[in-house]
This record gives sequence, structure tokens and C-alpha cells, in this order.
Amino acid sequence: MAETNAAPAPAAAAAEEEDCSSRKMVVVVGVDDSDHSYSALEWAVRHVAAAADAELVVVHGKPSASSVVTFGSPGAGDVVRFVEADLRKRAEDVVDKARRLCIANSVHGLIEVIEDEPRYVLCNAVEKHGADLLVVGSHGYGAIKRAFLGSVSDYCTHHALCSVMIVKQNKPKK
Amino acid sequence: MEPERAVASSVTPGGVGAEASRGTAGGATMTKVVVAVDASEESLHALSWALDHVVRHHPGASLVVVHAQHPADHFVYPVAAHGLAYIPPTAVESMKKTQEENTRKVVARALEVCAQRQVVAKAAVVEGDPKEAICQAVEEMHADLLVLGSRGLGMIKRALLGSVSDYLAHHASCPVLIVKPPKAHAKGTGNST
Repeated sequence: MAETNAAPAPAAAAAEEEDCSSRKMVVVVGVDDSDHSYSALEWAVRHVAAAADAELVVVHGKPSASSVVTFGSPGAGDVVRFVEADLRKRAEDVVDKARRLCIANSVHGLIEVIEDEPRYVLCNAVEKHGADLLVVGSHGYGAIKRAFLGSVSDYCTHHALCSVMIVKQNKPKK
Repeated sequence: MEPERAVASSVTPGGVGAEASRGTAGGATMTKVVVAVDASEESLHALSWALDHVVRHHPGASLVVVHAQHPADHFVYPVAAHGLAYIPPTAVESMKKTQEENTRKVVARALEVCAQRQVVAKAAVVEGDPKEAICQAVEEMHADLLVLGSRGLGMIKRALLGSVSDYLAHHASCPVLIVKPPKAHAKGTGNST
């Protein structure tokens, strides 16, 4: 991973040091099909991408059918087809909503759908696009749920190579 | 529910979109940015990064640097996050003075970084357990964004994310920006893990 990026990295790092003001900021936003994730995207588009005229990359980690269905019964083959179709439809909906949001805010965004676990998809996207910032929503799970279900925002905060912004849906302000 | 929202945002992007965001994302503009600072270089870097990449594009935003001071009435004082020093009662006064002096320095450095970029900032000092104190300050100030260094205020060398940053990332009442140290931004060149 480090080897393949070695050649462009020094140039990119040098460029970033000197050209901080003129180079566009690259922002990667992770989305799934949940409401809070959409709110995070909205926040990122509005307050970060639009304000800073940044290059926006919206990344969706599409779950694969095999991660959802476990084989065990004779009819499993048909189930997989239906699940796959449903997952594809959901991914298309996510992409569609993201695209409309970008258009509504006059932000040019690249939208990618990659089939893999969201945590890896997001961290890889950060590397691939040389992102300055990664924005993720947060389920707002408590510590125990996070330990069992895993937290994409936790993983990304630890492992992404750039700064990370975690956008939660706000509690109502007093 | 979802199709309605999608249709609405494409028809009237300005009006309905803003209404929707105010309910969930907490406001259509970024008016108050809070940056937590301590004596570490990393938190200063977090402040600079935030100023250059985020605050710069929101000229109307007000900036508050917050420093969490450990409560001064303890007889046991954390030292460099891996030891505890017992302070005899007679030395508490001088400990307090030292602490106030440190706080003053931290705040002054942070305000200087802001001034270098022509950003007017206010300072706030909160006392008590850093994570809870900052969390509460963020809520009381109605912050739109909280900025931290990734080691947070714990300064534990081996952890990539301090326990204070971790706590605030999940409990703060506003979006949290965690700024990685400059090495991490070098995109794959010798990132220590």
C-alpha cells in the first residue's frame, strides 16, 4: 500500500504544503441508506463542500448479498438473487439522493459505489482521492453497541489518513 | 417518506432543503466553531488546520478556543498521563499558580495562531474532567462544530485516538472534526500505526 503510493505521495505532500490556499480541498463523504447518513451528507455538502468550493467524492459501500444471506437451505440460490436485486436497488436510491443533493447545492460531486465493507471502502477512497477530509455520519450507538456491531466512524477515525469529521444528528437545542 | 424528501429537494432546493437541514443537521450556517486546545503541538496544529480548511470559508463564524484545566483542588495531580504525583497540602497553592500560568500560555499561543490568520477568537477555560467539561461547554455555547486533535487531551503516546477525543466524538452535541497530525496527511509515507 505504501509502496505503490510512494512516487506521487512526496509530490502531493509538497504541493499540499505550498499550495494549501490555491489547491482545492478534497472531501470524501461516506453514505449508506440511513437517514442520519443523509443528514451528514447534507451537512458536508452545505458547510464544507459548497463553502470551500471543494472537490466532493461521495462514497457508498454497498453490502454484497453474501454478507447478508448465509447459505444453508436448498432454496438459497433464489433468495440470493432477490437479495442482490434489492441491494442494488437500494444502492441506486442512495446514489440518486446524493446526486440530487449535490445538484441542489450547486456542488459538483463524484459518486462512487464500491462493494465491500464500508469501513474499508471509506479509508481506501481517502487514499485513492488524496482526500483532506473524510466526513461520516454516526449511528449514535452507545459504547456497548459499538463494541458488538462495530462502528464505521470509529474505524475511520482511527485509520483514515486524513482528518475526520463525524456528523451526528443533533439533539434539539435548548 | 424517502421519495417525498427526494422530490422536494429537487423542486425547491433553496427553501425546502434549508428547512430540512435545520431540523436534523442543526442550522443552515456555521456560526460558532469551538476548538479544544491544550499544551500539545498537536492541538495547535488542529487549530491551524481548522482555520485554513474550514473557518476560512465561513467568514461570519465566531471562534472560541477552549482549554480544559484539571481541577486545582486535587491532592493528586496527573503527570504526563502515565504517572500521578502526590501533592502535599502545602504545595497546593503553588500548584495552582503553575497551572494558571500554563493555562495562560496555552490560551495565549492559541489566540496568537488565530491572530496570525486575521481571525478574531475568544478564549474560554473550563475546569473539571476534560471530556465532560468540554462537552458541556459545547452545548452551552451552542457550537456548530467542535475541533480536536486526534490525540485529544490525553497525550497518551501509543494510542492513535485519545480517550477524550473518542468521548467527544460520540457525545458532543454538534459535529466533531478530528484533525490528524501532519504526518498522517502525507498520504501513506511512513504512517506509524
